[in-house]
Amino acid sequence: MLSGCRETAFIYAITSAAVTHAVARSCAEGSIESCTCDYSHHSRGAPKSQGTIHGVKDWEWGGCSDNIGFGFKFSREFVDTGERGRSLREKMNLHNNEAGRTHVANEMRQECKCHGMSGSCTVKTCWMRLPNFRVVGDNLKDRFDGASRVMVSNAGSLRPYNPEHKPPTSKDLVYLEPSPGFCEKNPRLGIQGTHGRQCNDTSLGVDGCDLMCCGRGYRTQEIVVVERCACTFHWCCEVKCKLCRTKKTVHTCL
Amino acid sequence: MPGSVLENLSGKKLAVLVVLFLICQIICFLIGGLIAPKPSSTDTILATKCLDKTNNTAEWFYIRGENKCSTMNINVFSYEKYERIANQIVFSFQMPTPRDNIILDYSRWQQNLIGILQLDISYHPENEMKNRTVLTIDAKLGYRNQGDKDDDWKYYASSVEQRNLDCILEHKKDGYPYNCSFIPLFELGSLHHDFYLLNIRLPVDNEKGMNLELGKVDDMWLVAINQTGGFTKVWMSLKSIFFPFIVGILIWFWKRVHGLQRKPLLLEYMLLFLGTALTFLNLPLELLTLFYELPFMLLLADIRQGIFYAALLSFWLIFAAEHLMVRETQENQFKTYWKHLSGVAIGCIALFIFDLCERGVQLRNPFYSIWVTDIGTKIAMGFLIVGGISVGVYFLVLCWLIWQVFCNMRAKRANLPVMSQARRLHYSGIIYRFNFLMLTTLICAALTLIAFTLGQVSEGQWKWDEHQYLEYTSAFFTGVYGMWNIYIFALIILYAPSHKQWPSQIGILFFIY
Repeated sequence: MLSGCRETAFIYAITSAAVTHAVARSCAEGSIESCTCDYSHHSRGAPKSQGTIHGVKDWEWGGCSDNIGFGFKFSREFVDTGERGRSLREKMNLHNNEAGRTHVANEMRQECKCHGMSGSCTVKTCWMRLPNFRVVGDNLKDRFDGASRVMVSNAGSLRPYNPEHKPPTSKDLVYLEPSPGFCEKNPRLGIQGTHGRQCNDTSLGVDGCDLMCCGRGYRTQEIVVVERCACTFHWCCEVKCKLCRTKKTVHTCL
Repeated sequence: MPGSVLENLSGKKLAVLVVLFLICQIICFLIGGLIAPKPSSTDTILATKCLDKTNNTAEWFYIRGENKCSTMNINVFSYEKYERIANQIVFSFQMPTPRDNIILDYSRWQQNLIGILQLDISYHPENEMKNRTVLTIDAKLGYRNQGDKDDDWKYYASSVEQRNLDCILEHKKDGYPYNCSFIPLFELGSLHHDFYLLNIRLPVDNEKGMNLELGKVDDMWLVAINQTGGFTKVWMSLKSIFFPFIVGILIWFWKRVHGLQRKPLLLEYMLLFLGTALTFLNLPLELLTLFYELPFMLLLADIRQGIFYAALLSFWLIFAAEHLMVRETQENQFKTYWKHLSGVAIGCIALFIFDLCERGVQLRNPFYSIWVTDIGTKIAMGFLIVGGISVGVYFLVLCWLIWQVFCNMRAKRANLPVMSQARRLHYSGIIYRFNFLMLTTLICAALTLIAFTLGQVSEGQWKWDEHQYLEYTSAFFTGVYGMWNIYIFALIILYAPSHKQWPSQIGILFFIY
């Protein structure tokens, strides 16, 4: 978290996305009762009155804005606190926070219902559906893989480190410096090292034994595990499984 | 219809009248755009999962206030013990949700409430769902009013409903969400009470095969749609303003027709019928819902609109037929047109029966919908297709009639110079009246279509920047409603019989030439 590397960018983005998502969800559940409505737009024709009655009257007049609006506002106030955007690092954090929120907004899906005369589409009402957070997380992971390294330009805005690259869009994650090595333990940076981690010998990605064990090699063991298998599931909470004894091959980094 | 006001009006007066109508039209549009909020608002509510310890279906499970239900986490599985707790989970929605730390309550100005369910179902390799699953929903709706105790929920309606749930899956990975269609759940024609509570169970029954194929439901959302109070207020004001104007002009029209020596003509009867249908539509009956619970208001609104459309379509047909200029003496008989009008009648009856099957039954069971069963869908489609075909036939007949009128018009116009003056005035009067109505009707119809399309587009686009100056959707509603009121007002004025008798008047202007 100390250095401005790729992983830090991801953590900032997913945190702000998660805050936005969770707050919007809680508003919908009614577990946060202080979720606000943006009445400024709806209430132009409404009769003016004072105090708490005002909010009720506005709601009656024009309804409430979407929960995601409050989620955004809350996330901006809560996650972006302390980031004044003066230093380069703060600019990076603000950009990644905003990117996280943009990904939540981007995955919102609109749905509409017709309820006009005899159910025809002369009157149509649309609303936005909150995305599943897994989908947001996946998108952010994709952006993590394609994050762009940036530096500050003379005008104060972020520009790509490699001048041949395109400038980062609002959905891209940005970082300032290359990631430190995660192979060896480094308590100062909070890195655990990869000694003793389980790896996948067939994968070519970062979970593969070649990359994860940093070329140190790995130990292969055969162990017998007792697992649940052949499960059948019934809504809501019933899973019927058998217990199976299976042999498993486990690879561990040296 | 010899000698209507339209022919005897000077060009200047007509221009003044048209400008006045245009100003009224723009005002109607702006009232909707600048004062009214969007016509309906949505409230997306996430279900709280309550645990029904005693399996007591008579109990109410609510989430705010004293003695609220004990919630549970349905993401906890039990591997070891076989437990049938699906029937004990109650998805609870309390409407409306609080905002700004204020407990909101529905106002009667908000008119109606539509409930739509959305399920979040996640994929697990052990129980892959089919693309279409039949879902059994046990739903119970209750209400409470301001001043009642927190637990004093009263029964409103309940039903066990079956709905088709269509789900598709993009990534077959453990825990990833299905993309499921939404389920229309209920429609309330009146929003009479302050708070509503919806309790839903998804009961599992091995013998009846209920919900056995259902996947892992993580969450349930309810989208509650209600008309906005502001829109109702603007709409009612608009209706209340139009109402006396149309009534007044109808009385004036009928006095004028009765003052004549002759019996009223068929077209004059049609105008009266059209005006009456519009008056019935304008009557702000919805104001009664502020005092009484009237769930049939949605059905009544459909019927009123239907009668108005029927009157308008019949009027156009008879108007075109009466201007055929084939017969010298108009027969003035409604009976002659039964063939022409049968299309309108069949269409209206089909749509009326369809409406009775949908909204009529909803009066007894708000959770009912004709579309959920396959047989119901076929019946509904049958009625709609019959309605659609009769509307198609109607427009074919109308186009054919109009084409005939234009052919006759061309023939008569060629002969005009050789006619006697009385006949010439008679025919040029008919031609002018017809062309004027054609032009105005076409303009109004085109504007309605444009407004409708723009309304659809503007509603379909999501506006992140909500600070727009004009509320287009509302503007289109008030604009179009105002336009047809003005159209019929103008028809009644302009096609009323004139006091000036035409053979004696020589210096009449005909704008058409």
